[in-house]
Amino acid sequence: MVLVESRVTAVRRSERRVGAAPAAASRPAARNQMLTLLREGSGHRPSVDPGLAGGLRAWLEDAAGELSCARGESASPLFLGPRTLLAAPAPAAWEGRADPFSLELATSSLVRALFRQLVIAGSVGDPLTDGLDALRVDPARAELVSFIETLGTTRRAELADTVGIHLAHVADITPRFSPGWLPRTGDRVAIPLAGGRVVLSGVFDLLVGAPVPGTASVCAIGLTTSGRWARGRMTLHYLSLLETLRNGAPPFRLALVHSGAGRYAVEDVREEHLRALVAHLAAHLTALAQDRA
Amino acid sequence: MDGRCLTSVLLEPVDGTDDVPAAVRSIPRTLAALAVSSRGAGPLRLTDHDIRSALSSDGSVATGLPFSWSARTARRALGLDAVRSLLSGEAKTPAHAVGATLARMARVRSGDRPSSSMEVWVAGLPAGARSAAEAEAVTWATRLWNALDWTAFPSPPLIGRDHWWDSPHSSLLALRSRAEVRSVVPGEQPATVHLVVLGGTRRPTVRSELCVVALVEALRAGRSAPPGRVVGWWPDSGHIARVDVNRAALDEGVAAVAQTLGTGSPRARTGGGTGKAA
Repeated sequence: MVLVESRVTAVRRSERRVGAAPAAASRPAARNQMLTLLREGSGHRPSVDPGLAGGLRAWLEDAAGELSCARGESASPLFLGPRTLLAAPAPAAWEGRADPFSLELATSSLVRALFRQLVIAGSVGDPLTDGLDALRVDPARAELVSFIETLGTTRRAELADTVGIHLAHVADITPRFSPGWLPRTGDRVAIPLAGGRVVLSGVFDLLVGAPVPGTASVCAIGLTTSGRWARGRMTLHYLSLLETLRNGAPPFRLALVHSGAGRYAVEDVREEHLRALVAHLAAHLTALAQDRA
Repeated sequence: MDGRCLTSVLLEPVDGTDDVPAAVRSIPRTLAALAVSSRGAGPLRLTDHDIRSALSSDGSVATGLPFSWSARTARRALGLDAVRSLLSGEAKTPAHAVGATLARMARVRSGDRPSSSMEVWVAGLPAGARSAAEAEAVTWATRLWNALDWTAFPSPPLIGRDHWWDSPHSSLLALRSRAEVRSVVPGEQPATVHLVVLGGTRRPTVRSELCVVALVEALRAGRSAPPGRVVGWWPDSGHIARVDVNRAALDEGVAAVAQTLGTGSPRARTGGGTGKAA
C-alpha cells in the first residue's frame, strides 16, 4: 500500500472555485501521482482463479442460510451494508437513534455529491450551492436537504467552510479521468444470498476501466470524509468482494481518499483481503443468527 | 456474469416457437373479457410497473405516488439515448453521449421548443443538479454498455423502444412491453429476443413479469418474427432470469395480467403514459 499526503491543508472561502480555475502548480502533479499509482503494472493485470467467486459465495451462503433459517421463511429480505456489517459502533451522530441528521452526515453527503460533479463535469462552482442542488434531485435526500436548509447562519457557514476544505483536497488529489476510462460514480452492488432472503449491498464512489472476463481490470476509488481510515479501507475491501461475486473478478487496484486530511492510499486487491472479509462477514451473519435463536 | 455470458444467453439460437402463433389467437378475446369483468371503470393501460406492483405480495413496490423527474427517474431515458449514440458511432464514450444528450435538452432554455416534460426539467436544472443527473445516467449507460458484447449482434439492436399493444376487442385495454435491447436471432424460423434491465431485489414473481413482455410481443408480432426469448438482467448483482417463449409462458403472462386487473393497481386506471424508470 502506498500512502500519500496532499499539500493542501486549508482553503479560504474566496478560493472555493475548484477545478476550472488555474490551480497551484503542485495540483496536476498530485493528481497525476494517483493516476500513475493506479496504472502502474496495468499491462500485467492478474488473471483471476475462475473458481474464486464460487468458493467465496459458497462460504457466505452457508452463513446466510443459517441466518435465514433463524429469521424464518416468511421474513422479508434482510439488507446489510458496510455500515452494519463492518463495524464497531461509531461515534457519528447519524448512527445514533435520537437525531438522524448531523453536520457530519451533511458533510459526507455533500462531499460525495461534489465528488461526482468533479468526475463528471471537471469543476464545481460554489460547493454548498452545487452540493445542495445535487441532493435536491434525489428524493431520498429530501429530509437531509431540509435539515441543511434550516441550519442557522453560523452552522451553515461552518458547514460551507468544511465542505470547501474537503472539496479542495479531493480536487487536488483525484485525477481527471478521461471518458475513455469509463468513469462511473455511485455504482450500486447488491448480492443476494440464501435465495434472496439476505442481501449484501454497497455503493462504489467511483469505478474506472471496463470489466474484462477472467481478469482483474477495473479500479475502484473510495472516499472517506470521517477520518475512520481503517473502516474506509475495509469498506473498499468489502465492495471488492461484492464486485468479485457480481462479475467473477475483483478490482485490480483500490484508492482510498480521505477528503478531510487530504491524503490517499493506493493498494492492490489481494485474495487474502477477500478471504479475510468473507470470514468476517460469515462470522457476523452467524452471530446474527445466534442472536435470533 | 460477464458481457460474453449475458450476450450468449440472449442471442443463442431459439427453438420451439412453433406453438406461439397458435396460442396467441385466442388471447385477445380472453384479455378483453378480463378487462370488461375487472372492477372499476375507465381505460386500463397496464405498464410493467403496474404488473410488478400487483404481483408483489409484500408491498415492496411503491404504488400511488405521483411521478416526478429526479436523477433516478431520468437515468434510464438519458442512458438509453446514450447507448443509441454509442451504437451509431455518434459518441465514443457513455460520458460523451450523455453530455451531448443533456446539452441538446438544455437548448430548450435558449428558445428551442421542448418536446417532453423531461426536456423542460433538464433545461431548468442548475449546475449541481444537472451534474447529479448526468452522473446517474452515465453510470446507468456504462453498465449496460459494458454488459453486452455488441459485436455479437447479427444486426444493430433496437435500443429502448417501449411497445404498446392495444386490444382490438376492448378499447379499454392496452399493455406495455418495456425492454432495453431488442434483436432478432436469425435461423430457419427467426425470432425476436428482448433484454430487460431489472431493478429492485430478486423476486419470485420476476418470471411472470417477463412473461408479460413475451405476451405483448407475441400479440404485436402478427406475421413478423415471434418472440423467442426474454432475458431479465440485474446490473446490481449480475444475475439473469430467462424466459423461453412458448404456450406456457404466454399463459403465465395472461395470468399476470388477470391478477393485475383484479388487483386494480391505482396507476393502471389513470391512463397516464409515464412509467417508473428502473
